[in-house]
Amino acid sequence: MDVPGYYEFCSRVRIISGHNALEKIPEALTRLTAVKPMIVTDKGVVGAGLIDAVLGAIGNSVSVGALAEDVPPDSDLRVVNNLAKTYLERGCDSIIAVGGGSVMDTAKGINIVVSERACDLMEFSGANSLKRPLRPLIAIPTTAGTGSEVTAVAVIKDHDKHLKMLFVSNFLLPDVSVVDSRMTSTLPPAVTAATGMDALSHAVEAYTCLAKNPLSDAHAMAAIRLISDNLLKVTRNPGEMDGRLSMANAATLAGIAFGNSMVGMVHTIGHSVGSICGVPHGVCMAILLPYGLLYNRHKNGHLTAELLFSLAGPDVYANTPRERRTDEVIERIRKMNHDLRDATNGRHPRFFKEVLDREGRQMVPKEKLQGIAKTALSDGSIFYNPEDLDYGDFLTVLEAAWDGEPLPGNLK
Amino acid sequence: MHMAECNEFISPVKINSGNKALEHIPCELDALDARKPLVIAERGAAAKYRIDVLIEAFKDSGITIGIFDEVPPLPSLLLIKELFGIYRDRGFDAIIAMGGGSAADTAKVLNIAVSGRPEDIDRCVGEDLIEKHLKPLIIVPGLSGTGYEMSRYAFFDSRSYASPFLVPHLAVIDPRTAIPEDVLTTSASTLLGLTHAVEAYISYGKNLLARAYAYAAIQLTIENLVKVIANPEDSKGCVALANAQALAGCTFSNVKAGIAHGLGNAVAKEMGLPPGVCMGVLLPYILEKRMSECSHDLGELFLPLAGFDTYAETANELRPKRAVDIIHDLIGDLARATGGSVPQSLKDAQVPRQVLPEIARRADYVGLDMEGAVSVLEGAWRGR
Repeated sequence: MDVPGYYEFCSRVRIISGHNALEKIPEALTRLTAVKPMIVTDKGVVGAGLIDAVLGAIGNSVSVGALAEDVPPDSDLRVVNNLAKTYLERGCDSIIAVGGGSVMDTAKGINIVVSERACDLMEFSGANSLKRPLRPLIAIPTTAGTGSEVTAVAVIKDHDKHLKMLFVSNFLLPDVSVVDSRMTSTLPPAVTAATGMDALSHAVEAYTCLAKNPLSDAHAMAAIRLISDNLLKVTRNPGEMDGRLSMANAATLAGIAFGNSMVGMVHTIGHSVGSICGVPHGVCMAILLPYGLLYNRHKNGHLTAELLFSLAGPDVYANTPRERRTDEVIERIRKMNHDLRDATNGRHPRFFKEVLDREGRQMVPKEKLQGIAKTALSDGSIFYNPEDLDYGDFLTVLEAAWDGEPLPGNLK
Repeated sequence: MHMAECNEFISPVKINSGNKALEHIPCELDALDARKPLVIAERGAAAKYRIDVLIEAFKDSGITIGIFDEVPPLPSLLLIKELFGIYRDRGFDAIIAMGGGSAADTAKVLNIAVSGRPEDIDRCVGEDLIEKHLKPLIIVPGLSGTGYEMSRYAFFDSRSYASPFLVPHLAVIDPRTAIPEDVLTTSASTLLGLTHAVEAYISYGKNLLARAYAYAAIQLTIENLVKVIANPEDSKGCVALANAQALAGCTFSNVKAGIAHGLGNAVAKEMGLPPGVCMGVLLPYILEKRMSECSHDLGELFLPLAGFDTYAETANELRPKRAVDIIHDLIGDLARATGGSVPQSLKDAQVPRQVLPEIARRADYVGLDMEGAVSVLEGAWRGR
């Protein structure tokens, strides 16, 4: 186990996980000396009955100060400021965020405004601009994927100024994450598949990119093993609660891993496809993951090879010749995408040409690939990728991932 | 539906490890909203050397540090009183504990006093009685601590405290300060960590997060302990061991203490030996006992001990025994490398055989009956 020349690791979130973890919320609030939480969530979560489950679990012992159930999927500064106003008017003293990435980001933004009495959120953007603990924040993830319940990052858009503000601080780590199988048991198969592959991409890039360390490795390996054992199972059988809990745990482990090791080109390209074509993040991750491993293999193939142990188990690992293990890992991740496509009646795409919107139109038209490649050039996550990419390299990877073709042999 | 117990985990410490890690402290203090740290160290040449390195690292930071390097091995409350006055009157706003052991315990207890009121150090004795965040506490561990520096525990003048708020905010592992003092204390601190990590890894609760920390701690220990004892100049190995000790401390805060911990402490107390050494000597025998009851978890333990390749190439049914063998071999190798100052058996440690039943009776542990405990102690007495 290599200890890098220098690394930092911080994961101070208290994690409560189980089939009945929600019931621990009142005790968690008490320990945080909070009595009047604001619940922040979105319509989808409410519609799935998950807020009822949360309220049922916390019972009468906690008086909810405000219920904000309208966080839009594309939340922004205006939403943050409005909800912060509600928080202050109602005299809330803590936040419970129930949802996916957008809800978590919004809750973190509200927390900065109400804790710092910030008139201009921009003052606190960037790295380490926060200097002291914020108000208590409890995060309850409703997808098993993003890991934002354990990351120190928030992205808030300012639609008026066409800005995307990035906040990075360990004070943005939630105080508590409540990982409960009931919160993901109603996810539709296609969302289960995409978010599960998102978690897998976090763990795989954490293990194979440049800022890895002993702790991120240990978290990543545990996550990969759980995903490999459970993702297909819960996609086929959504009510399988032990599998749901395992996937939720895996997403948290993978979130801790990549939050402390950063990610690479799969995320670089995925961010660009997401922002230009509006493709869900997990879908981009699923499609790009095998290509990232292929592209980097001459630099980190030995690390990818080690993943075969967690992905396929000791027997397959032992029976696969050393020089075949890297290919076998990439092949297995491709096969996961194929199997997930079958399990979702064709809804889980394997390649960009297969990504369709509700009307059945391609969301990533081939002519947009050049623009995507250009945008990718200015994404910071490329810093931690083992191999460099220029515009042409991005485009080659994107074209291959569009068609589902292997990367051209002469590339790198 | 299967209603499993909830699992909980928290590790509030941030870890900065590696080259020039000490130079990052001023920036980390700023992130903690602190600007005037009081450095606390044990008395002695080793601590003096570390403090010189720290002063050098702060040279260009513009930060003034206070230094108290007179902590005795067994400090009393009078020391806290003295330090409380210094901290308050001179306007300090953070504590840096240099090295482990009594300096770390003193720092933790002082932090309780300065974060609230002095009488809190009486009120907070016990489990989970600290109610809020304490002032910033940074620890710069060496390799010779008690093994509890990173944990939620503080032991001071026959008082014990336990609270997640006692975990340091930051641990700084730097090759210039993570240096061994003598082979016995390096072995003892590392073996205490290894015991905690192993007992967490095979504990029945299956806490995934505690296992991730334990996995890394076990692997780093196995790969580096004997190497560092043989060559104390191996700076990469020393940093790896300091990491192992730190991660084991994080693990221990989150799981119930195991049998090796309880029996090892009892032996140590009876004989005046370092607890880590006693736990290490007992550990393989406790694992053997466990193997006879439920071997599956022990098979999994073989993975961090042996690595992917050896694990995968070893037949499933052989893995538990191989795991125990690796720990046996580790203790044997240490005994040889330290010229016997780490004993290989309780007999080698001069423990009289007839006191074993008394030790078993006094020890604090769960999961094993008296008879079982005595048979483990007997095994460890005879050795291999």
